[in-house]
Amino acid sequence: MIKLVLDRPRCEGHGLCVEVAAQLLHIDDEGYAAIDVSEISDAILATAQAAARVCPVAALKLIGEEAT
Amino acid sequence: MSALRNSVRDIVVVGSGIAGLTACDTLRAEGFDGRITVIGDETVAPYSRPALSKAMLRDQDDLTSHLLPEATHGALERRGIAATGLDVDRQRVRLADGDEVPYDALIISTGTRARRLGLVNRSDEYTVRTLADALALRARLASRPSVVVMGGGPLGMEIASGAIGAGCATTLVAKGVPLAAHLGALLAARFHDAAVAQGLKIVKADSAEVVMYDGTSVVALGDGTVIEAQVIVSAIGDAPNVEWLATAELLTGGALVVDRRGLVRPNIAAVGDVAAFPHAGRVARVPLWTSAIDQAKVAAAALLRVDAPELTFQQYFWTEAFGISLKAIGPTPVVGKAEIVEGTLEQGLLRWRQSDGTATAVALDYRVPIPKLRRLTARSLP
Repeated sequence: MIKLVLDRPRCEGHGLCVEVAAQLLHIDDEGYAAIDVSEISDAILATAQAAARVCPVAALKLIGEEAT
Repeated sequence: MSALRNSVRDIVVVGSGIAGLTACDTLRAEGFDGRITVIGDETVAPYSRPALSKAMLRDQDDLTSHLLPEATHGALERRGIAATGLDVDRQRVRLADGDEVPYDALIISTGTRARRLGLVNRSDEYTVRTLADALALRARLASRPSVVVMGGGPLGMEIASGAIGAGCATTLVAKGVPLAAHLGALLAARFHDAAVAQGLKIVKADSAEVVMYDGTSVVALGDGTVIEAQVIVSAIGDAPNVEWLATAELLTGGALVVDRRGLVRPNIAAVGDVAAFPHAGRVARVPLWTSAIDQAKVAAAALLRVDAPELTFQQYFWTEAFGISLKAIGPTPVVGKAEIVEGTLEQGLLRWRQSDGTATAVALDYRVPIPKLRRLTARSLP
C-alpha cells in the first residue's frame, strides 16, 4: 500500500495540498498540513500525487510508489 | 467528461519545469494514454524554483528543499537538450542535435531566463534562476565575499537575505524602497526595516551597469557612484525563452500569447512563465509557482477536450526575507489603508479592498492556510 507522509518541519503551511486534496489533508490549528488519510488506494492515488506535486517545499511524499 | 480527441496520440512537452511536469500529470489524469515526450535543456529532474532563493540559500546543510516527488507520468524524458526550432506545418520540434520530434499536440513550457546587467555569462555576475545558478551562488557565499545585489524585487530581497544570513557584507541596489513596487509601501516598510536592522545596506539608484574597473567588475550607478563587491548578483527580472519559436509565427509582438484555455493554436498550448495569458483585464505573464500549475492544468485538458474549462486565475504570491514571511492572495501592490482581520499590522491577517470589488488578503508573519486567505478575498463578504 502506498502511504502519504508529511515532513512537518519542512511544511510552510501554504495549504496548496489541501486545495487539491481536501479529502486527504487539512490544515491544523498551528497552520501546518495534517494528513487524514495516509493509506493511498488506487482510487485516490491521482489526488494524492497532485497534493504532493503542488507542494513548493517538498514536504509531502508518497512512499512505496512504483515508478509507473 | 466528453470523449478525448482520438487524433491526439503523440504529445510533446518542451520545457521541464513545474509547468511542463504538471501538464504531463494532467494529461494522464484526463485519461490520455498515448505517448508523451518531454524535452528540457536542464540535465536534472524538475525542481521547485521558489525554494532556490529561499531555503536553498538559508539552510546550512539541507540541500533537498527543492526536490519534487518523482514523476509518475511515464513520459519519455530527454534531458540536457534544447529545442532550437519549431515547424508548425510539419508538426515537428527541432532539437540542438539536429533530431526532429513529431507531435500531434505540443505544449510549450520553456520558461524564462534571468536578465543580466553585464556581458552575457561573465563569471562574476551571478543570477538565481536555475538550480545550477543557486548552487553556484550558495557555494560562493560560503567564503563570505562582499556582495552587491542588483534589484529591489522579491528575488533580490530573498537573495540579499540569504547573503546576510551567510555572513556577507551586503549591499542592495534598488530604484526605490525594495518591494514597494511589488507589495505597496506599508508591507515594503516591514521588510525594509528588518533588512536594515540585520545590516543590509540599501542604495537607491535609477540606473546601473556592471563595468570593468582595474581588472574587476564593479557596479556603476547612474549618478557616478561606483560600488565594488566580490560578488554581483543580478535580480532584475526575467526574459521569456521564445527565440526557438522565431520562425514558427506563433508570437504576437514578441510575446507568446495564449487564449483563456492556454492555447496558441488548437493543437499548441503554452504554459508557465513563458506564456502571456488574459487575466484581470490584461494579457501578461505571471511568473509564479501556482500560476504555472494552474495554467498547465487548464491547457493540458484543453488540448484533449473541446469542452475543457477556461482558466480562473487568482494570484498567489509568497516571499520570505530577513525573518519575515508574507503570503498574498489577490492583486499586488496594495494601496491605501489595511483592514486588520486578525492580529496586528506587524503580525497578522490583513485585507485591502479595491473599488472594483476585488480584494487582496495578506498573511504577514502569520500562519494561515491558503484556502482561508482565499475566502477573505471573496466578493460577498460576511
